[in-house]
Amino acid sequence: MKTLLRMVQVDKSFPGVHALDHVDFELREGEVHVLLGENGAGKSTLMKILSGSLESDAGQIFIEGRQVSHLNPESAKELGIGMVYQELSLVPALTVAENIFLGKLPRSPLGLVDWPRMQAQAEKSLADLGVSIAPRKQVRELEVAEQQLTEIARVLSAQPKIVLLDEPTSALSDAERERLFDAIRRMSERGVGIVYISHRLAEVPLIGQRVTVLRDGRVIGTLPVEEADERTLVDMMVGRRLTEQYPKHPSQPGRRLLKIENLSVEGRLRKISLELHEGEILAIFGLMGAGQPELTRAIFGLEPISSGRMCIADEEVHIHSPADAIRHSLGLLTRDRRHSLVPALPVPPNVTLANLSQLRLHQGLRLRTEAERAAQYVDSLRIQPPSLDRPVMFLSGGNQQKVVLARWLFSEAKVLIFDEPTRGIDVGAKAEVFALMSRLIRSRVGIIMVSSEMPEILAVADRIMVMRDGEITKEFRAAEATQELLLRSAS
Amino acid sequence: MSRAQREAKGTEQKQPQPRSVARTLRELVSRLGPVIALFLLCAYLAVASPHFLRTGNLINITRQSAITTILAIGQTLVILSAGIDLSVGAIAAISASAAAVLMTQRIRILGLAIGPVNFVVGLLVAVAVGAAAGAFNGLIITRGRIPDFIATLGSLTILRGIALLITGGLPVPSHITATELKGYLPEQMIWMGAGSILGIPAAGLIAVAIVLLGWLLIRYTVLGRAILAVGGNREAARVSGIGINKTKIAVYLLSGLMAAVAGCVLAGRLNSANALMADEENLRSIAAVVIGGTNLFGGEGGVIGSLIGALIMGVLGNGLNLLNVSAFWQRIVHGMVIILVVIFDQWRRRRFSPVT
Repeated sequence: MKTLLRMVQVDKSFPGVHALDHVDFELREGEVHVLLGENGAGKSTLMKILSGSLESDAGQIFIEGRQVSHLNPESAKELGIGMVYQELSLVPALTVAENIFLGKLPRSPLGLVDWPRMQAQAEKSLADLGVSIAPRKQVRELEVAEQQLTEIARVLSAQPKIVLLDEPTSALSDAERERLFDAIRRMSERGVGIVYISHRLAEVPLIGQRVTVLRDGRVIGTLPVEEADERTLVDMMVGRRLTEQYPKHPSQPGRRLLKIENLSVEGRLRKISLELHEGEILAIFGLMGAGQPELTRAIFGLEPISSGRMCIADEEVHIHSPADAIRHSLGLLTRDRRHSLVPALPVPPNVTLANLSQLRLHQGLRLRTEAERAAQYVDSLRIQPPSLDRPVMFLSGGNQQKVVLARWLFSEAKVLIFDEPTRGIDVGAKAEVFALMSRLIRSRVGIIMVSSEMPEILAVADRIMVMRDGEITKEFRAAEATQELLLRSAS
Repeated sequence: MSRAQREAKGTEQKQPQPRSVARTLRELVSRLGPVIALFLLCAYLAVASPHFLRTGNLINITRQSAITTILAIGQTLVILSAGIDLSVGAIAAISASAAAVLMTQRIRILGLAIGPVNFVVGLLVAVAVGAAAGAFNGLIITRGRIPDFIATLGSLTILRGIALLITGGLPVPSHITATELKGYLPEQMIWMGAGSILGIPAAGLIAVAIVLLGWLLIRYTVLGRAILAVGGNREAARVSGIGINKTKIAVYLLSGLMAAVAGCVLAGRLNSANALMADEENLRSIAAVVIGGTNLFGGEGGVIGSLIGALIMGVLGNGLNLLNVSAFWQRIVHGMVIILVVIFDQWRRRRFSPVT
């Protein structure tokens, strides 16, 4: 098989981080090459160098045997490299077709946009992917999965020889993921080489032919998938054996912490009722669009409630804003860490931010206490690097997650809402998050965990509620639930 | 783990990461850029013009820069919160004008004859007008949900209009009122702009006091932290329960308040206030903030940088005068400096920020 791409001794440093340490990487024709690694391992940096948005400090890149230098986004595109970014880069107000041909709209002989041709071509490239999305629809009306597929269609419309997919399934449900995999298989049959970045181990045998594991900017090894069982890969990724991926917690639910009755949000949620006890993990499962994010937002005062009652420790409360929620000892770990952290500020102010909301604007800060408490959390949560004056934007995803968690430990929240706590973090950090959840449970906190990862839910939760179309359809005790049952009640 | 072990581990963990000397030096240079630029500018002017280092000239620079500095501190708070205040010059003008009218004339408001009032009352009126105008900005931005830029652009025009109405379009006191009615500004007001203590211009001391207040506010108060959070990541501030609207209103109110102080200093320096004064100060204050290294998009920076920035603007203007550069060219140079500084600043941020 022909080698499409070879990267030799590629090196890249950022202030304080050696992001890539003399990395070698190879991609063959028609191959799906999975790139695995914890967050901060250097996967995204490697791909950004290849797609021309970052320049390497040293090393060579060969494409189809020819050395290329000074890659930039344009020249990378000309060389046949197409990158599908982790963050969607579509223009919401434009149509699907316009987005697919953004920057290369087909022209009529007069130099005007050839709309009929554009629609036809867009339809064809979507059909090639095996999806049915109306090309005239505005992107903002699409579901996340459809947006992702549109993004892929856009990259494919340039007929690339090499496609880089950066965690394409992080926003997809299982069924949608299958559709994506079909599309990938079709591409690879046509001889396109695909680099597939992921941290979901389960996907490796489903889609890949070879897998390369990165850790701390170094290549740990490249294996054919047949030799890459989950255990081996985890060891390679974290450099230590994880005895338990999902540490079990002995749970003894105690007093009732939170009671919600008939909570509704106009057009989004209908009559949601739930209870949460001390030392209990309540998981909320649902397919995309079932209303889980709205529920967390409504509980936390970020979404206006149209009706319903909420009691905390058996006292009725009215929560109209996050400040109210925090006062009633609620805490929210947002689905996207970037919505929780102030990137330019270091760890201590990020840790105390929620407590700040309970003070008046003219009051003074207690900087020494703040630094001391932050240092304790840095130590006990093992936040790396253990620096108190480095802006949190320089921390890796898992460590940022810990900073957010430290915020709610500091605010002494009794009810913690984890919205997709393991989204976008790697195996090692995942295990740490679950270990922390167990620790919280032991300290009598109650946790509501919204997740779309069924294995995690089944392993961690005490009770599971399933949502569909803004309603709770079913409730299970952990022991009686299975993946099948959950999926059936969710769809 | 025993306590001793834990402590040993703690110290081991807390060791700073090794960094190359060259990189530390590069970061330092980019951080201290404004100070170095100011120093080089002064060094060049000291050589190029025999007048530059004369006491009289230095005092002159201090007085000129003081007004920009005071405005720039308010502007820093606004820009840190990811806003922008285009109305600081107009607020300075209307506050000083309102105070000047009350301090020099007897006027009738709703049938009540008021004035001429003394300095303290006049100053309070100026500050109250400035704060009210600033709060108005904050309210229309937060309640009206319109961009800061548009809101302050609108209020700038409104405020100039009101200032023209209350002054009748004339300087206060004008030549006529001053000579015929003996309506001068109070001595203390003149002192704010033109007086000095032990040879140091009072305007400079006021500016330094405001810088200090601004620094304390950002570093040691809840409001300061809220400003950095709102400007650094509005969504994070929101989910952390920070009152975004309250913070923004407070910021614009403070900016208006400082603009009022600047207006009084300027009126003292000119011996009179007028509705159209300080019209170049909007841009100068924004330029000073940005030259000082505060991120124009909020969340990063501080008042010390803005002080340096204001000094650079002041020294530059003074130097161009000393070198006999025409006023027309001076405008061109000022504009180019602003553009170049922002280009440099954006380059620096790209260079020293992480990947994701």
